[in-house]
Amino acid sequence: MLEVIDGGLRTTVQDMGRRGGQALGIPPSGAQDGFALRIGNLLVGNPPGGPLLIRDDPGAAGLEMTLGRLKLKALQDHVVALTGADTGATVDGEAVPCWTSFVLREGQTLACGLALSGARAYLAVHGGIDVPLYRGSRATHVSGGFGGLEGRPLAKDDRLPVGAATAAAEDLAGRRLRPELVPSYAPPMQVRTVAGPEEHHFTAGSVEAFYATAWKLNPKADRTGMRLIGPELSFRPGRPHYLIEDAGKDPSNIVIDPGAPVGTVQVPSGVEPIVLCVDSPSIGGYARIAVVISTDMARIGQVRPFEETRFVRITHEDAVAVLAAQEALIADPDIII
Amino acid sequence: MIYDEPIFRTLGDTAINVEFGDESSIPLNFRILSLDYALREHPPKGLVETNSQVRTLGLVFDPLTTTRDRIVAHVKALIAAQGTVETLPSRRVIIPALYDDPWSRDCAEAFGVRNNIEYIAEFNDMTVAQVIETHTGCDYWVTGVGFVPGAFMSYAMDPGKRFGAPLYRTPRTWTHARLLNFGGLTSTIYPIRIPGGGQLFGRTPIEIFDLRELSPAFADGPVLARAGDRHRYESIGREEYDAIRAEVEAGTYEYRVEEGSFDCAGYVTWLAEIGEPAERLDPESTWEPV
Repeated sequence: MLEVIDGGLRTTVQDMGRRGGQALGIPPSGAQDGFALRIGNLLVGNPPGGPLLIRDDPGAAGLEMTLGRLKLKALQDHVVALTGADTGATVDGEAVPCWTSFVLREGQTLACGLALSGARAYLAVHGGIDVPLYRGSRATHVSGGFGGLEGRPLAKDDRLPVGAATAAAEDLAGRRLRPELVPSYAPPMQVRTVAGPEEHHFTAGSVEAFYATAWKLNPKADRTGMRLIGPELSFRPGRPHYLIEDAGKDPSNIVIDPGAPVGTVQVPSGVEPIVLCVDSPSIGGYARIAVVISTDMARIGQVRPFEETRFVRITHEDAVAVLAAQEALIADPDIII
Repeated sequence: MIYDEPIFRTLGDTAINVEFGDESSIPLNFRILSLDYALREHPPKGLVETNSQVRTLGLVFDPLTTTRDRIVAHVKALIAAQGTVETLPSRRVIIPALYDDPWSRDCAEAFGVRNNIEYIAEFNDMTVAQVIETHTGCDYWVTGVGFVPGAFMSYAMDPGKRFGAPLYRTPRTWTHARLLNFGGLTSTIYPIRIPGGGQLFGRTPIEIFDLRELSPAFADGPVLARAGDRHRYESIGREEYDAIRAEVEAGTYEYRVEEGSFDCAGYVTWLAEIGEPAERLDPESTWEPV
């Protein structure tokens, strides 16, 4: 059991998400940086779960902090690991390393500061955060009010149940990710995309600008969508009149379509492209210039307000190869030393 | 327009959209729903989930157990074998609503715009009473469920009664739950309190999304609407609204859901009889779908 002293800026229970809800408007949710949570779970001896969107395997639940500041007290000994953004965390005032498992003793306080690099930090606990499953997952969806702890972010005095230990603490403590595999979150973040279904709605110059621009993250970004500040994009002329009647006169309007998957980049009115994130709507009505590959939803989740992102276009086949390489890495026992 | 052959759009590494056209069309939606049923009966290996909407079927697949090309080939074979859609499972759901309600007015006031139902009336050259009469005057076909938990898209089944109003230019940052609204020709209801740009014109006392799942209407989950449902709105007064709301909150309200099927082929014939074009075209447009 863990007791929340301070829930921080926004902390929620997350796993690898809820599959099969798109046709009900229920988003996958889950960790925005699935790589960081899955590595955290591996470090503490938990099942890491499958990749975003495509497996019915949520893995163990941990905590996702947006920009940090979470403060917790252990009510019994727990093996934990912090991954993702470096929050300069301490245990009873002593610094603790990231991407390394350690024992948080009964009565000790873990305090995370404001993220020093990256935007989202994860706390994995051996046994997993043991809140009830809702539709196959423990992931919190705040606006729908379900999953996680009562469907909401953590607050002071919450008590988080932890699943039973299945291994001895000393066997699990002190494990770390091979240092060369620790991701860097230094801007500009390179985010790979595949051409979107309505790329041809944009002028050639605007498609070029989309890939040439260092986009700055709008600080209102959240797990639903990340808006990016940069040049205005324009659309090809000649839209048919029935489309104007049906969808609207703004050239970015299309007749509602499945927005799936997470990662779709919509450009309402040509201003501030929005990357749809893990809590995003399952359908949309704006032209989609690109789709961020599933593996790189982790990267976009680590961009801080006003930091820069650059999009790099790859093919669908290369995107699948990136996913396959990531899954091979997660499955490789030698990544943890 | 409706494409001669559906276009397969790739979305990143894990999804495809099978796009049948660029307009909203109920007969087109019949084909999409029937393809969705066919995929449920004959799912290709590696298909994770489907998301059927008005003009597009969304498919999520696991590219580590199958390939995009295999999914496309499988779907193409199902489309080739499809034929005319004769009937589809379709429930009829009666939705009581208080039109020109105080909560829609409250939202309009909070965001500094005029009462939306008055704008809808003016935009369609109608009176407010005609807006209510027209919206309650025919069934609405639910073409797809999605957006936020429990939301759905629906279109008037009588083309002569199809109307709407454009979305707000700048969306509201919040909307009361259960407000009826138009986004273009799409008629829908906000299931929960969320941001949105729809033109608001009424409120239903019944739940569209209910995590409590108290009524048999929520036996399959927290979402009331299903693609292929026919919705019929009923105008009620404030007293009846309050009475139904109290029953809904107590979990005793009996949702008016009738199981059944719909004669799709008959509907398409009726559309032709009343002179409704099978697709909308703009010969002067230089627009190309690809």
